[in-house]
Amino acid sequence: MAGFIVKYKWWIISVSAALAVALGLLIPTVETDPEIRNFVPRSMSSRVSTDSIEKDFGVQDMILVLLTDSSVLTPENLGSIREIDRSFSRMEGLSTVNSLFTARKIEGRDGMMIVDPLIRRIPDNATKTDRLREDILSNQFALGISVSEDMTAAAVTGTVNPDVPEHLTLNRVDSIIAEQGDEKKILTGGLPYIRRHIVEDVNHDALFLIPVALVIMLLVLKLSLGDWKSVFMPFSVVVLTVVITMGLIPLIGWKFSILSLLVPIILISVSNNYGIYLVSRHKELKGSEVPPGRRELVRQLTGSLRMPILFSGLTTIAGLLGLLAHSIIPARQVGILAASGVAVALALSLLLIPSLIYLRERPGTRSRPPKDHSKDLLSRAIGALSELVIRRPGRVLLASAAITLAVSTGIAFLRIDTNQENYFPHKHPVRKASELINSKFGGSQTISVMISGDIKDPAVMKGIDDLTRHLKQQEGVGNVFSIADVVREMSKALYEPGEEGYDKIPDSSQAIAQMFELYNMSGNPDDWKQLMNFENTKAHLLVKLSKPENEIIRDLRDEIRNYTADFPAEITLGGYAIIMADFAQKIIEGQVSSLLFALLAVFILLSVIFRSARGGVIGSIPLAVSILIQFGVMGLANVAIDAATALLSSIMIGVGVDFTIQFLWRYNSELRKGMNHAAAIAMTYRTTGRSIVINGLSVMAGFSATFFSGFLSIRYFGYLVLLSIGSCLLCAIIIIPAFMLWFKPAFIEADLNRTIIKKDKNGKDVLSAVSTADSVTAGTHGTAARCQAADGQKP
Amino acid sequence: MDRSRDLTMSGNLQSTVTLTITERNGATRTRVVNMVSKTYGDTEKRMMKFLEPADVRGTAMLIIDNKESQDDMWIYLPALRRTRRIVSTEKGKSFMSSEFTNADMASGANSDFSITHMPGSGENGLWMIESVPVDDDIADEYGFSRKVTWLEKQGLKIKKIDFYNFDGGLFKTIEILGTKPKPGGGDGYIMTEMYATNHLNGRSSRVTFDKLNTSASIPDNTFIADNLSR
Repeated sequence: MAGFIVKYKWWIISVSAALAVALGLLIPTVETDPEIRNFVPRSMSSRVSTDSIEKDFGVQDMILVLLTDSSVLTPENLGSIREIDRSFSRMEGLSTVNSLFTARKIEGRDGMMIVDPLIRRIPDNATKTDRLREDILSNQFALGISVSEDMTAAAVTGTVNPDVPEHLTLNRVDSIIAEQGDEKKILTGGLPYIRRHIVEDVNHDALFLIPVALVIMLLVLKLSLGDWKSVFMPFSVVVLTVVITMGLIPLIGWKFSILSLLVPIILISVSNNYGIYLVSRHKELKGSEVPPGRRELVRQLTGSLRMPILFSGLTTIAGLLGLLAHSIIPARQVGILAASGVAVALALSLLLIPSLIYLRERPGTRSRPPKDHSKDLLSRAIGALSELVIRRPGRVLLASAAITLAVSTGIAFLRIDTNQENYFPHKHPVRKASELINSKFGGSQTISVMISGDIKDPAVMKGIDDLTRHLKQQEGVGNVFSIADVVREMSKALYEPGEEGYDKIPDSSQAIAQMFELYNMSGNPDDWKQLMNFENTKAHLLVKLSKPENEIIRDLRDEIRNYTADFPAEITLGGYAIIMADFAQKIIEGQVSSLLFALLAVFILLSVIFRSARGGVIGSIPLAVSILIQFGVMGLANVAIDAATALLSSIMIGVGVDFTIQFLWRYNSELRKGMNHAAAIAMTYRTTGRSIVINGLSVMAGFSATFFSGFLSIRYFGYLVLLSIGSCLLCAIIIIPAFMLWFKPAFIEADLNRTIIKKDKNGKDVLSAVSTADSVTAGTHGTAARCQAADGQKP
Repeated sequence: MDRSRDLTMSGNLQSTVTLTITERNGATRTRVVNMVSKTYGDTEKRMMKFLEPADVRGTAMLIIDNKESQDDMWIYLPALRRTRRIVSTEKGKSFMSSEFTNADMASGANSDFSITHMPGSGENGLWMIESVPVDDDIADEYGFSRKVTWLEKQGLKIKKIDFYNFDGGLFKTIEILGTKPKPGGGDGYIMTEMYATNHLNGRSSRVTFDKLNTSASIPDNTFIADNLSR
């Protein structure tokens, strides 16, 4: 390998740079996809149903403009609503507009059926205002839809026309609102606005978080390596890895999503480790009595470090590929991208850094030996911990088990949240608008029930009417709209109160057909194009949810299925809320399958590394404990599993498994030197223990950039990833040594000379050779390298 | 435009009207009605009875189209044995769910518009006349910001009308596909086939007037609500 690097160094450098430039140029072309329903596969049944409903009744995505005041029925506020309504009605980007000024009143008076606008003239005195209030309170097409019951909020809604680019529609809406002056009173909401905020916040996060993470990593590298010259090479690997990986997104044809934000953060946190190790080892070799020549230097670097680095990279890749078991599409993409990025970082570290070292090297020069950090705070803390574990391994194990058990009780309180409104902080305009819509306008999220059959058949219409009334009584339902409401309202205009047909569904299909015809003559047929199709063969029942929680949605879905089991027409159940409920189910399934996949992959790798299945199981203990703690804390702290936090476990497994491998590897190496158990553990603490802690802290520092995200969900991800990597770290340096001392497992005890030692092609014992130079323990994430760089201590 | 309007005004008219609405996806809905109309100065009265489809057969409408005031409309629903008067002021409202509005089906009031020649008007034997509603309220009532009417220079027969929405975009076109001269000579004519295309939603509507009779004697008491159920 050294020969290859020396021979093709310029090729390696050129290809790396060219690849980064070529893929980097593609990055500006990447598009952001804010549509959360694209997180689930198109083939998922709720998505298929929703697509079929939207084919007949159009996309139900609405823009909502909310005006709030002590009373919205003042001439000034009504004037603003009328202006917004008029401007919206004239916009091509909005197809159906609803407001107090489009609402109709259907009434029967003096033998007349009057279909008239709810407001013909804005009231200019108290009496007329009171009359309007009464009209609104008795108008089911306005109350709770265009104005709240307490008259403190009014809504103007518009269904987006998919033929017009959404950003143009939103810009026009914004300028219409700006013309009304007092923006404090006006809020905007609805899915199109949520999508725009997601795009804006994702782009802002990408432009802000990546530089922040890079600066953090630069400081970590400076602290680890000491001088800026040494920082350059691993930092180059980080930058090139991020650029190449992000360039893959447009190259493959994928789009950027909220979850994609995690890819550069993962890579910045993880990809520097291999480079640090190489650079530190290089410094160590250069500080030796007789520094090797350039070619020999490269040979020693690649020869001794290749295997540990590869093992480290492979376990990380295996953990990240666990995300492939997710059904959430962007989660799979994150898995593939992050795993590819780690592979790129591995390749760059093993090829590019030795090439640069070779070129930079001046033969015969000798570096200063690294500083001694053996008396610093970290070393003293680790020393105290080591003493405790060695003296009381049984109690340490018992206490760890008790803490794990106590924290894991929180799992019982775990909840899933797929509501994308909750991505945003509480004071965000999206949250404020959603809260207002949920409390005063029946809710912004909907369930759609499509009824296919002869809608004019009285049995079908009565079925729709029954279902409408039944659903209105269910918990979490804000409002229900159906064609049966229109028919009932017309019957009230055609019959006098007390007459047989008043407020009823007629008994003959001719009567229903003639009512529809009547409305065609008097009202606007577009008034209910969202409720019934052109041919009267499909009706659409729209359920607005005031509490869009997954449990309520699932209960409602089951209730609708049960209630319509004997319905005289075909029922199709869909809508955004149903997709989100299925999405929640997919998150659970994905969580379980990705965990199993990652655990299995890591178990296999550990079994191979330790040449023992038992070793694989024991090596997985810290991961299992960390998973229990992670979910337990989430349950206790009421942090929901959502699209972002669902990725935690796989990332934690990928990153956290290294600490255990490092510890066991070094422990085994010390035992093989003939030390007793306690001495071997103490030595492992002093050397690798310190490195593991520094390594863990540096990875956590990289992830801390997520604290600055505009998305609450990404911030929670950041807090939790710190918790889970932190617990992996603690498990590796507390539970694993205590377990080794208490149980003395056979896989690491028996036939010490066989364990984890590999013969190279010359029959040489590779790992025992490198162990003398601390390299064995350094395997993952450059831990020993940091140890070398930070404290200069030799095992 | 006043002269052109006068040419289409007919005193008495009996006809079978077929209205076919075609959705963007090709689905169609057809209504066949028997129509009788008579003009009294600035007022046009129309009695319409549904023949098809079967479930609305017998449904009848009486429309009093007042040029200067709101229209009056009565409707009889045979299945419910109910007659109801419907009040509406919106001329931009759809006519029987079609792309035609009530205003398109009536002769219209030119006083609601400021009318000018378009650039190029008079070329190729056609006048191009632009009609802009005189104020915002009237524009809202009609549902368009302006319309452009193509008239044959010879005979002032309407060829087509383009309607523009409030963003300035063309959203609807009505083409006059068939006309018939009024009996008794002169330039007067009756439209026998009109076709409206909605450029925004892809829907189209065709209305044809068959079995035209302009010479029938129509008694005035035809246009009373009591006749709706007969």
